[in-house]
Amino acid sequence: MSKLIKISVLAVILLGLSSNVFAAGSATELEGKFKLFPAILLIGILAIFILVGIFNRAKDTSSYWAAGRKISPVGAGMAIASNWMSAASFLGMAAILYGSGYHGLSYVVGWTGGYVLLLILMASQVRRYGKYTASDFIGDRYYSKGLRTVGATLAICISFCYCVGQFAGIGLMFKWILGIDYMWAVIIGASVVLTYTLISGMLGVTKNMQIQYVIIIISFMIPLFILAQKFGYCAFIPQISNGGVVSDIVNGLEPVKGLVNRMGQDFAILPSPEYAMPWDPATGMSAFQWLALCFSLMIGTAGLPHVIQRFYVVPRAKDARWSVVWGLFFICLLYWSAPVYASYAKILSSNPEGGKLAKDAIVVYAAQLGDVWPIIVGLLAAGAVSAAFSTVSGLLVAGASAFAHDLYFKVINPEASQQKQMLMARTGTILMAAGVAIVALLNLALIAQLVALAFSLAGCTIFPLFLLGIWWSGSNRTGAWAGVIVGSGVAILALLYFVCGKYGVVLPAKEFMNMYVNPWYFAWIGAPLAVAANIIVSLITKNKTPEHIKKFLAKEVHGY
Amino acid sequence: MTDAQGKDQQDPQSSGPSKYDVNFFRPKSPHARADMKLISVMLVIWLVAVFGFQFLLLYTCKATPEPAYKTFQKVWPSVVSGNADADAQKQFSRSVLSVLGKNIAVSDKDKVILKEALCYSVNSLLPADKKAVLANYNGGKADTKIVAASIGLADTGFDKLMIDLLPTSLKSENPAVLSDKSKVALPGIMELFLVHNRGPLTEAKFLGFPFHYWYTAQFLLILFVLLCLTYAILIDKINAKYGFTEK
Repeated sequence: MSKLIKISVLAVILLGLSSNVFAAGSATELEGKFKLFPAILLIGILAIFILVGIFNRAKDTSSYWAAGRKISPVGAGMAIASNWMSAASFLGMAAILYGSGYHGLSYVVGWTGGYVLLLILMASQVRRYGKYTASDFIGDRYYSKGLRTVGATLAICISFCYCVGQFAGIGLMFKWILGIDYMWAVIIGASVVLTYTLISGMLGVTKNMQIQYVIIIISFMIPLFILAQKFGYCAFIPQISNGGVVSDIVNGLEPVKGLVNRMGQDFAILPSPEYAMPWDPATGMSAFQWLALCFSLMIGTAGLPHVIQRFYVVPRAKDARWSVVWGLFFICLLYWSAPVYASYAKILSSNPEGGKLAKDAIVVYAAQLGDVWPIIVGLLAAGAVSAAFSTVSGLLVAGASAFAHDLYFKVINPEASQQKQMLMARTGTILMAAGVAIVALLNLALIAQLVALAFSLAGCTIFPLFLLGIWWSGSNRTGAWAGVIVGSGVAILALLYFVCGKYGVVLPAKEFMNMYVNPWYFAWIGAPLAVAANIIVSLITKNKTPEHIKKFLAKEVHGY
Repeated sequence: MTDAQGKDQQDPQSSGPSKYDVNFFRPKSPHARADMKLISVMLVIWLVAVFGFQFLLLYTCKATPEPAYKTFQKVWPSVVSGNADADAQKQFSRSVLSVLGKNIAVSDKDKVILKEALCYSVNSLLPADKKAVLANYNGGKADTKIVAASIGLADTGFDKLMIDLLPTSLKSENPAVLSDKSKVALPGIMELFLVHNRGPLTEAKFLGFPFHYWYTAQFLLILFVLLCLTYAILIDKINAKYGFTEK
């Protein structure tokens, strides 16, 4: 693994140096033109991914689905972090903080705090259960082929929603780098992700994810040191000196001679407390929304099938635990840094003459406006693509696994040979990538928000099944069905109100539903209701959990 | 590893309590009790640290106006009635510019109202022989200087930033009165952008950050990593103590 990291770092440096020979300044256009070194860096990085995929090809189903369980905890932690750090983390986090101030921190806290739940309630138990996929666990624990099918379908829906959101990020960055249409950007990005996912399966993907993590974190960190040094803040740890930047935004920062952005505008800002004060009315977000969103993202994190599935690739349950610890640490390195971009961007773009910048690309704009070297800005954009790719590839594998393993092999054709299963896994990957690309190309208003929807859907459906399935042997098949129906019902209701609202159809209690059963955070109420339904129905039905499952839970999963 | 799969069709379903029942809240063995204690402590710390702090923040924060809002409140009655003197109009212009300076935080719809109010105020401040400057305003430096002088903006500090806002904020027109729409909407817009939730936790500083911001953006993440680290170490010890070998 360390060899791979060294190779990737070396490759990035070499690519950077070689591309520096070419014309300078091509990455300094804010919009619309082909940018040479970002393009070269991007092509080089993608070539590395594909080569690593080819050298680590999946030879059988075990390798394809769970990387042969040969990954170390640190390596698995890097893979967790890389898998997790999507376009939403790399680009979207700073965008939310830039636009909505303190409200954006609910994403920072929600997307990290969920790992505590995941670790203490699930990680090692899931690994000890010894299954390949989330729906495998659900079908087995609740002794129901029907629930296995529902679990697989939910896993596909969740992965699909999440994946569509990522394609928006890929499209945005390809558009920025190559100066091409959004449509072509999405098609090219989808083709490359699909190619190496098909070539390598999860073994290649896991190795790729380790390399991707290194690229993501290096490309994300370097501009921060340069920005801090350039604008007179302590460059040693820009995450800490960001305190000064935030306070300067709140209290206002007067112009200082010589401190200007790339467009010659003062590095200064009028007092803007709305950037940091809690639940500021100017952001349109209330304390309730902050808390509901944070909670939904947390339980969604602990219920995402592609995240849970990462625990199957480590050799032992102990490794699953330590992989979460390492994974969270690696994730936090990026999450401590994202607010720094938002702060610099806030000051650098404070002059309205700079025009309206696309919030989703604010990380790249912050580096550009801060006059960071074009090569570094190019690396940053390539890192953003890498972040989106790493997540999409993991999602495609999770979705394909659910399709081929849980639906086809376990339900439709249990006699299928290994070759047939591999074929179905690859077919599932192609179908899902094609479907995601088509939906992404529709450019619906929903796309960017589908990521949050995926979290709430996972929090309402998968999370309660795992929580009760692991910690209460009394939770039975009928209870599980009740929980899934209630959780899915709340999700459908939230989506129905949202879609009707979009098309001007007024439903009863619209305002109430938009505030309290909102599509981005409906899990705050959906998950507790699903848990309650599961418990109540399990208690009142006669269909009790089979003794061998109770024994397996007690002896093998918990060791009691 | 033993596998529970495949036995569901053959095994009898349990009826009544079983020695293998697992219930987080009713641990049967010392090992289960140790697990439950550890997880409960972790969950309580996690809950209080994340949500407890936000409730505390909610409880301690009060709606606190920026100085610009107090200025606006003071001069608004005279401005809206059309009786504002030059000094009141200058203060009014500054308060409007302080909101326009928030740039991306302000919606385009609100910016239209603010810009109209600024034009009205500047028009009333310009002497009769200079009103043509506003009528033909195109963001030129000389014209901007004249407008800035009429508002009383110096070329230093925050005043300089306000001057920089003029080219994108002024339209080439001379509104003699505020529109009814602006009269209705402006107080709400000013309150929306100039009143903030502040309290002891937002005013205290740590590492240069407002304390609440540092706590949420950095400390909670550190706490999450520490909680995970502590759990991973302690659960290994618990498993070793009760002789549970993980396969």
